[in-house]
Amino acid sequence: MKLKPLTINDKVVKFPIIQGGMGIRISLNKLTSACMNSGIIATISAAQPGFLNKNFRKDPIGENKKELKKEINKARANSKDGILGVNLMHAGTNFPDYASFLAKQDIDFIVSGAGLPLDLPEYLEGSNVKGAFIISSGRAAKILLRSWDRRYQYMPAFIVCEGPLAGGHLGFSKEQMASGDYDSLEKIVIDTKEVVQDYEKKYNVKIPIIAGGGIHDGHDMAKMIKVGADGVQIATRFIATYECDVSESYKQMIIDSKKEDIVTVASPAGLPGRAVRNFLTKSLEKHNLELHYCVDCLKTCKKKDIPYCITEQLGNSTSGDKNGLIFTGAKAYLIKKMDYIDNIVTEIIRDCKKDLKLNGGLI
Amino acid sequence: MVFDKVKEIIAEELGVEEDKILMESDLSENLGADSLDAIELIMAIEEAFDIEIPDNEATKIKLVSDIVNFLVEAGK
Repeated sequence: MKLKPLTINDKVVKFPIIQGGMGIRISLNKLTSACMNSGIIATISAAQPGFLNKNFRKDPIGENKKELKKEINKARANSKDGILGVNLMHAGTNFPDYASFLAKQDIDFIVSGAGLPLDLPEYLEGSNVKGAFIISSGRAAKILLRSWDRRYQYMPAFIVCEGPLAGGHLGFSKEQMASGDYDSLEKIVIDTKEVVQDYEKKYNVKIPIIAGGGIHDGHDMAKMIKVGADGVQIATRFIATYECDVSESYKQMIIDSKKEDIVTVASPAGLPGRAVRNFLTKSLEKHNLELHYCVDCLKTCKKKDIPYCITEQLGNSTSGDKNGLIFTGAKAYLIKKMDYIDNIVTEIIRDCKKDLKLNGGLI
Repeated sequence: MVFDKVKEIIAEELGVEEDKILMESDLSENLGADSLDAIELIMAIEEAFDIEIPDNEATKIKLVSDIVNFLVEAGK
């Protein structure tokens, strides 16, 4: 027996894994090309890809679009038939502008989280690019499905359920994280599975449910498939790879991290985020960091009296500053060495199939 | 009356007593609505009044009176 492949935008990948989008400048053309060529779905992050450009602080939107186009075209040239998407945060400023721009690029989907992308289908009209969303509760999935159904008669190409072990911004409040009062990823998958059923029937479509957040190996993947997920989203695991676009020092911080180094920090967006403990997280325990510029990146950022600037600190760290913000998933400490994407995918699929008692080689 | 119908919907969606819902009640501070509650409430209002509340209007809604005024202005 085989693992069920994933179909998105009428294309099929053999392994039901989506490489999750990571910004700033972590999942760009090199990582995504390698992922597509290893038989999984790839996601470029739309979070400030123009960060290193000279003109970035003056014209962030223009520079970001320029880089997005470049990264998409390079990835596409390396994998013509692969499934390629872009992650566009709904909490980002100028969401309609970026979404309309991305709808014209050679990609298969826009996946949007960090807020509820109630308006995403509006920008996809007449485009071959499909819309998808990331949620952290069955309830949020229900609201989005109901809203998309009513306003646009549009169904998502897939839904990512992101649990409490994810990296970067978390879809849970500080209070929830502190008290442990949040749903497990399994529960979110089961709840979401239930709410999609009516819409799958109504539209006669299959809406794949993808489980993300803390999926490190094939055993984690098998657990999610057993509770009903159609695939998994994996991101952090792919950072310490030869192909990942991020700086070598960022990769090394991930490799060197121990369990106790993975902490949650307050983000200027008002949500908790998960990161590797370093100079930045230690400083934040005492005081806010100085702000040097603002590119108006997040709708939800108050811009004043905030702990730090997320674009500045994340952009610095991913470009090589060990003292910046090192966003990560909860299981980064399990990563011990640099590897190749293909090896990691092969290992995950092998272990997943073993746990699911599927025989017959890799595929 | 618009306010009575809105009150009924809020009571149902947020699970609060109708007599606690006043025109000047703040949906999040006084009635405990989180961001998902707010979206669900707007959708319920849209359904009940057969009206579309655009996102840019919806984000301005803070008080019960904001909903009522929007509906009254829309001729409901």
